[in-house]
Amino acid sequence: MNAQTPADMAAARAARQAQAERREGSWDVVVIGAGHAGCEAAHACARMGLRTALLTVRIEDTAKMSCNPAIGGIAKGHMVREIDALGGVMGRITDLAGIQFKMLNRGRGPAVWSPRAQCDKAQYSAQMLALLDAVPGLEFVAGIANHVRLERGRVAGVELADGRVLGARAVVITPGTFLNGLIHIGPRKLEGGRIGEHAARALSECLAELGLERGRLKTGTPPRLHRDSIDWSALVPAPGDAVPVPFSHWTAVLELEQVLCWATHTNEATHRVIREAMHLSPLYSGEIAGVGPRYCPSLEDKVVKFPERVSHHIFLEPEGRDVDEVYVNGVSTSMPQEVQVAFIHTIRGLERARFIRPGYAVEYDFVLPHQLAPTLEVQKVPGLYLAGQICGTSGYEEAAAQGFIAGVNAALAVQGRAPFVLRRDQAYIGVLIDDLVTKEHREPYRMFTSAAEHRLLLRADNADERLCEIGHELGLVTGDEIAQVRAKLAALDSEAARLARVSVSVPGVGGETRSVRAHDWLARPESTYARLADLGVDLALPPSWRETLEVRLKYRGYIERQQRTASQAAAIDGVMLPPALWDEALNGLSSEAREKLVRWRPATLGQASRITGVSPSDVAVLMVHARRAGKIG
Amino acid sequence: MPRSLEDTIAAIATAPGPAGLAVVRVSGAQALGAADVVFRASGRAGRAEAVTLTAADSHTLHHGWAVDAHGARLDEVVAAIFRAPRSYTREDVVEFSCHGGGQSARRVLAALLAAGARLAGPGEFTLRAFVLGRLDLAQAEAVADLIHAETAAAADLALAQLAGELSRRIAALAERVTDALATVEAHVDFAEDVGGVEVPQSVREELREVSAALGALIASGAYARAVRGGVPAAIVGRPNAGKSSLFNALLGEARAIVAPVAGTTRDRVSEAIEIAGVRVMLSDTAGLREIGDAGHAVEGAAGAWAGDAIEAVGMQRAVAALQGAALVLWVVDASSPLAAEDRAVAARVAALPRARVVVALNKADLPARVAAEDVMALVPGARAQAVSALSGAGVEALRGAIAHALGGGDAGDAPALAGAVADPRHAEALARARDAVQRASAAAAQALPGEIVALELREALAAIGEVTGTHIGEDLLDRIFNRFCIGK
Ligand SMILES: Cc1cc2nc3c(=O)[nH]c(=O)nc-3n(C[C@H](O)[C@H](O)[C@H](O)COP(=O)(O)OP(=O)(O)OC[C@H]3O[C@@H](n4cnc5c(N)ncnc54)[C@H](O)[C@@H]3O)c2cc1C
Ligand SMILES: Nc1nc2c(ncn2[C@@H]2O[C@H](COP(=O)(O)OP(=O)(O)O)[C@@H](O)[C@H]2O)c(=O)[nH]1
Ligand SMILES: [Mg+2]
Repeated sequence: MNAQTPADMAAARAARQAQAERREGSWDVVVIGAGHAGCEAAHACARMGLRTALLTVRIEDTAKMSCNPAIGGIAKGHMVREIDALGGVMGRITDLAGIQFKMLNRGRGPAVWSPRAQCDKAQYSAQMLALLDAVPGLEFVAGIANHVRLERGRVAGVELADGRVLGARAVVITPGTFLNGLIHIGPRKLEGGRIGEHAARALSECLAELGLERGRLKTGTPPRLHRDSIDWSALVPAPGDAVPVPFSHWTAVLELEQVLCWATHTNEATHRVIREAMHLSPLYSGEIAGVGPRYCPSLEDKVVKFPERVSHHIFLEPEGRDVDEVYVNGVSTSMPQEVQVAFIHTIRGLERARFIRPGYAVEYDFVLPHQLAPTLEVQKVPGLYLAGQICGTSGYEEAAAQGFIAGVNAALAVQGRAPFVLRRDQAYIGVLIDDLVTKEHREPYRMFTSAAEHRLLLRADNADERLCEIGHELGLVTGDEIAQVRAKLAALDSEAARLARVSVSVPGVGGETRSVRAHDWLARPESTYARLADLGVDLALPPSWRETLEVRLKYRGYIERQQRTASQAAAIDGVMLPPALWDEALNGLSSEAREKLVRWRPATLGQASRITGVSPSDVAVLMVHARRAGKIG
Repeated sequence: MPRSLEDTIAAIATAPGPAGLAVVRVSGAQALGAADVVFRASGRAGRAEAVTLTAADSHTLHHGWAVDAHGARLDEVVAAIFRAPRSYTREDVVEFSCHGGGQSARRVLAALLAAGARLAGPGEFTLRAFVLGRLDLAQAEAVADLIHAETAAAADLALAQLAGELSRRIAALAERVTDALATVEAHVDFAEDVGGVEVPQSVREELREVSAALGALIASGAYARAVRGGVPAAIVGRPNAGKSSLFNALLGEARAIVAPVAGTTRDRVSEAIEIAGVRVMLSDTAGLREIGDAGHAVEGAAGAWAGDAIEAVGMQRAVAALQGAALVLWVVDASSPLAAEDRAVAARVAALPRARVVVALNKADLPARVAAEDVMALVPGARAQAVSALSGAGVEALRGAIAHALGGGDAGDAPALAGAVADPRHAEALARARDAVQRASAAAAQALPGEIVALELREALAAIGEVTGTHIGEDLLDRIFNRFCIGK
């Protein structure tokens, strides 16, 4: 392997692709699309013991980062920690490919400390491919999925564009931005889910034929520049953390050498170029029908919506350690390329920058997610699961979280086991899926911490405590791994108990020395576990576990409050609503509630209660019907 | 937030409107405990036996008093115990039978809520009866219809109340809290875009103002609630000051026995009169002679009934009336100098935490031996009016002074009833909202993290949402994106 030349490697890849393009047969589960959702889904299925095919167009593009070269960030980083604690792969791969780690919001509130890492894109894909290749029972198939084949109303397989048919007992569809993808660069339009790639038209039609209601969304990406055309001396360096913290609970050390990012900003001249060319932007000329994410606005949007702002931040992020491509974070755009070149050249440090690729916007179809069960199974089509961008979300992490849930549930269903659903107070992943299946969505859904009503319970530092046992039961967290977690939790508990017994001497208000319990002292806002050493207490916990103990003590009152409301919510989330309910008259419900409920067909009373238009008394009425139906059925 | 089946719930179980009796029902795991906080069993004179409802058998009745958090008596009640599963809901249930007319039932309910119960939603007792299996399946549809009907009725009522000024005021406050929350959330989720995670000073100031405004809104409701529910008022004063005469003068008929002998009135005599649109439940009481325990107040008393145990009971009731009163009319015989007895009464009156006080300087037809300033110094903040119960002079002015004390003001100065919180349910929810806003503002002042401030503000919005019936805050992201430029 080490001795291979780039040419050898390219040849090996081509051979592998060619072989995968001939593969046929029958599997327990076929996953369509080796994006971030598809990789998690296929990995979970295979690890749970199912024969799994991962069908994708180009194997080399596995887990390709379509947009920015970073994983994590606020709320997204939480989800990666959760996927990792459940036995998923995104966190491990990020640690293998990360070239700049940063714990966002360190020193701020405990609920929002969030890991983020810049990655080497090529490494990310290569590492994912290597990991998946090593999973027994998982096979790559290369090709384009056109059709889902049904037998007796159930999923039976997938038909490919070249005529092959893959048999399957369950199918997970994760085609990202490719469903009828249409790329805009100014007035220029290209079919494709990413620039230079295909657009899955037949597959989108197939979903419509299955009776699924679709919508159209849009997203965008900034230009990529040549590294050597940038005047780095004019930019401000933006380093990562001095001591990078890994994403994964199972990573001991980070191997890759860390790099710098660089900051600059737009100016009046940049905005002038944008304003003068506004009529050429497909966003503003009405060319784009899909709705874009407001949290990720194009530069056009920022200039129009915030005219008083004379400058916007830009970060230059290398897409790898030794690659030429530099990602220009902050200037997502769909302007014609000439305009992009003109405004980029107004920016300090980029005056002579050369383009590798222009920024562009992409419109694509998605499936309105209220048609899904919380397992991500299509309600109308048993055995068919959807995950990722196709469900109306945006972002690698959101996609991976859904891929994991869909994959696990597809596997459980094939094995005849009970479905797996995370509650809103258990994980951001639970919030994500619940929001998808209960809310109405007007723009691509992205996770924010404010979406979680039990935010203090769902911290990045306690993902293992919340989820590892569940991952272990699913068979995705190994015996060694769970032993590690149990040891940590036991150590935290016994340390908390010890600090409740030990007293420390601290200065009182009048300067006199007072004796207080160590855990009371630690609960004070300014106290830290490390400083207990100065007070003569030995420190029993390694640094990476201390934060959890500090948070537990400092925010105990608030955490307990959230636990109480969470357990109340859990009670109504435990009341199942049998699907047969929706065929009944359901008297006593308001008409708005009835209409919504029949359309959404929520699986639990809790979900019903979160649908807009369903009032608390509708919930009470529904509980009556649920119990009646439950007794009869 | 949907209702939890685990909470202990309470509500007035009888229909509103005039009736002899009102029943307040509390159901749930903590029903007996909450009832015990509110209930004091009556003991025989001087020998109060400590009966707790928690220890009582199922299907037993207990006579006693409902008291508030300070131990002040609210009403004479009978508590009926129904232990699970032999109860309407199949949970532990206590039913308090109170005096009719609404006011006392509402006060007992408020005390139960303060003791940890939650206000039951429409049809919720029946829902529990059904969920816990007391009602059979055939009745399920009827239960669903009932909940719907009760909800619709409650909604009509709430809508009628909320129409216009009040709903605008509450909506405006909700709006301000939501904006504050949006700013806090923006600083939590998008610290890098909006510059820092700290809750901005402007938000802290806004929260202080909002909490003051909520407080004012709740306070403005006192008069409106008085209009709806009536006000318990006690006439107090030393024997022979002219209490009974004044009671009659206000009633316009000879209802109470008037006699020149101190101690003639031995029992409370109550009658409702209307002042400025408010139903005032006026109680004439026995004269208060002694500052100490009313039960021993007879010592050293002059007059034919001195030492009479019956009068002692009357005085005990006078004390209870005084403590339960929202309005106190202190009658002073202005034709004789202030006596120690008067000062003792004044001390009791001045010690009342919440009641509004009006002083009647009676017997104005006789030469004055008392200076108004000396009287007023004893009860700061009260209003005084010279009056003659005998001739009727000043009685109208006294009614005016009472109206003023009730918040009704003089003619032409009618309070903005339309914009006031009349429903105790609403007042309670708004009080919770105000408390949460105060906690949020304190958390921000202590530089606690934004998510803690947000937690409190969300609680405030949920409480306001109970009044307006809307889910506030669903447009949080809209607000954030409209105000801040998010996204690098
Ligand atoms: C231009 C652009 C801009 C973006 N901007 C942002 C942004 O600003 N912020 C953000 O959070 N996210 C952004 N994203 C989204 C991010 O890339 C996705 O959210 C994420 O990759 C979705 O993951 P996925 O697994 O659902 O799909 P993808 O990662 O898109 O993977 C889909 C995979 O399925 C394969 N596939 C598709 N159809 C078929 C078929 N019929 N048969 C076989 N294989 C198929 C594709 O080849 C691909 O490998 C952007 C994406 C694009 C393309
Ligand atoms: N002159 C005069 N006598 C009054 C007035 N009010 C009450 N009295 C007399 O005072 C005595 C006691 O009155 P009563 O109402 O029984 O006093 P109470 O003990 O406070 O209830 C009676 O003889 C009344 O007639 C008044 O305004 N003027
Ligand atoms: Mg009298």
